[in-house]
Amino acid sequence: MHTSLGHFKSRVASALLAAPIALLLIAAVAYITPAIGHLHAWAALLNVPGLPKAVGMTLWTGLASTFLAWWLTAWLLSQAFGRRWWSALVRSLPAMLATPHAAFAVGLVFLIAPSGWILRAFSPWLTGLEQPPQLATSQDAYGLGLVAMLVFKEVPFLLWAAATQLQRDDTGARWQRELLAAQTLGYSRTRAFWQVLWPQLSSRLAWPLLAVLAYGLTVVDAALIAGPGSPATLSVRAWQWLQDSDEATNTIGAVAGWLLTGIVAGAAALILLLGNLASRARLGWSGQRGNDAPVRSWHSGRIAWGAVMMLYVAVLLSLAAGSVSGVWPFPALLPASLSWEAWATVLKSSSSVWMTISLAASSSCIALIWAVAWLELAPTNWDKHLRKLLYLPLLLPGVLWVVGIHRLALAGGLTGAWLGVLLAHLLAVLPYTLIALSPGYQGFDQRYAHISSTLGKSRWTYLIRVKWPLLRTSLWSTAAVGFAVSVAQFLPTLYIGEGRIVTVTTEAVTLSSGGQRSLVAAFAWAQWLLPAIAFALAAWLGRPRQWTTTLNSKS
Amino acid sequence: MDNNTKLQVMKIEVKQLSVGTGSEQRILLRSFELNCEPGSITTLMGPSGCGKSSLLSAIAGLPVAGLEADIKVALTGQRVDHLPTSQRRIGLLFQDDLLFAHMSLRENLLFAVPPGSKAARLQQADAALIELGFHEMAHRNPLTLSGGQRARVSLMRTLLAKPQALLLDEPFSKLDVALREQFRHFVFDHVRRLQLPTLLVTHDAADIADHSRVIDFETLNTANA
Repeated sequence: MHTSLGHFKSRVASALLAAPIALLLIAAVAYITPAIGHLHAWAALLNVPGLPKAVGMTLWTGLASTFLAWWLTAWLLSQAFGRRWWSALVRSLPAMLATPHAAFAVGLVFLIAPSGWILRAFSPWLTGLEQPPQLATSQDAYGLGLVAMLVFKEVPFLLWAAATQLQRDDTGARWQRELLAAQTLGYSRTRAFWQVLWPQLSSRLAWPLLAVLAYGLTVVDAALIAGPGSPATLSVRAWQWLQDSDEATNTIGAVAGWLLTGIVAGAAALILLLGNLASRARLGWSGQRGNDAPVRSWHSGRIAWGAVMMLYVAVLLSLAAGSVSGVWPFPALLPASLSWEAWATVLKSSSSVWMTISLAASSSCIALIWAVAWLELAPTNWDKHLRKLLYLPLLLPGVLWVVGIHRLALAGGLTGAWLGVLLAHLLAVLPYTLIALSPGYQGFDQRYAHISSTLGKSRWTYLIRVKWPLLRTSLWSTAAVGFAVSVAQFLPTLYIGEGRIVTVTTEAVTLSSGGQRSLVAAFAWAQWLLPAIAFALAAWLGRPRQWTTTLNSKS
Repeated sequence: MDNNTKLQVMKIEVKQLSVGTGSEQRILLRSFELNCEPGSITTLMGPSGCGKSSLLSAIAGLPVAGLEADIKVALTGQRVDHLPTSQRRIGLLFQDDLLFAHMSLRENLLFAVPPGSKAARLQQADAALIELGFHEMAHRNPLTLSGGQRARVSLMRTLLAKPQALLLDEPFSKLDVALREQFRHFVFDHVRRLQLPTLLVTHDAADIADHSRVIDFETLNTANA
């Protein structure tokens, strides 16, 4: 009797949790669905000059960046996992995750632009250049800058997603021993990784991979900064149409959003198919053992990871230098004069900083509480079904679902209001919160619950005294991830905020098209700093308990 | 299953085995020598946490955090301790079966068979399945088998890789008593038939295979301290 009542209660609670989010998403989708039927908008879209080029650019940048990021992640994992520097790698991830795409794009442009740091470092002594060359290296016509930006931003995300799986109590430790078992069967370390660990791990990274793919195909903010100008990607074009004052053009934008959705769906199907084929092919049954290269402390994997870290450091340094640069003539490595004007402007518009913090803190907090309640209460099959819906904001193009949320906010009178923007942020933060929290939460050893209840403790006592303290690291880092996701939101903030809600992100991105280099850099730096503080705080709050006792030596 | 053509001997010389560094360093073992003859099963007894599993890790060359081993391992006169685990040709049976969840039963066995023609490799895997009496379950997910069945598959997988010596890390401890007795016979029979030099680590006196070849880890430690 008691348990069936408990079941009933948890089902009611789950339904109460699921209903508002599900309704919100369904309503948002319902608002944008009619656009599919606008045949003349489709006709207009198909007649837009350069549409095939825009679609081609979208496919090229999205697919190339996803393939490269996935391959690089897998290779780095094969090099690092099980080695000593793996834990150092994992510790370095939060600082990279904290870097918003837009800030990273601004910094990368500062590095590789014709007047950027890289060329300055080699001029004039090597290149002989006294003037910046007339070359488009950042918003290049081939989208290479955008691809590079996406790859270096997504590799840390995919590595982090892999780390959350590898640190699970159940699977992670087991996989580690399976790797050793394969080595005692004669397989080299690397081959054991590809045949034993990677097939099991990669299938669990399907959602993060799809999120990376969808992001790469639909990104707007970072593409405005580092992406090609002509042809721009389809998502950037769609965003421009949506911003137009002409309603017919807006409809073309909405229809373009659906075209983009089709592209994402097709690409996702392709990726999943290729992934399946690749893992089968890699599992080849030749029995060849492979050879382990002699162990060196600095091997290619470690050097490659060092290079990625150096790039992040360089990006952040170039932002910092850019934000305080006054006059900075071309081949000089450092600015000729320093100016704090940009920072003074940032401080003067401190309301945008506080707005960013209040939105990020609230949305990550609500999302975390929601996710914990959901994982605690929801029956497994409910979780499976609702997840597909909750992950929609990851897979649907931003330019599409933002329009739906905007219509919804209009109906509720929430446009331009903090609450409306918060709701939009929440929908973006929730899926990442679930992705971050689920592995640790679901991998938690259920026997602790049994032990606790046999000791006569209530469920609340168990949660507060046992489960949550043990999951502290995971809970806090999840909150930091949510915070960072919220800070990085550009489309929902601008579109639902209708320009009245201003965050450091909307400032950095909208300013980036102008000429105020130092101001853009200052806002981009602030955009990195806020999540970085959140991650640092999370690491401190979630640090493992410090034991003072020393290992007793056996006499 | 083929017999090894040449009888193998495993010789182990431990100068020092320790965990931790500096003031937290703890010596597990010092000046220890052991000869494992072909087909003999030496049992190393000791309570859990005394370091006997660490010794096996050192022999197999597995990375264990903080473990420092000054050790010589030779198979029939050939030093192997400078080689990575994968080239030592020392089989290790873990406490868990560690069957790979993404491979069927047959694929798990096939994985261990040394390189060769596809047909010959499949034939060896299938022969092992038939010996186990599991040929009808060849394509099943290993997780659908009982613990005792999985343990036997795990041993077969270890043996299919043609090791020159075998280490057993409390492989019986996770099985229930009735199965344990059965599985012990299964393991010991195979070891003797293949004439493998074998080192068994356990805390359970019932696991002892050969009462003339028992070493008490604790007395070793105090004798050397």
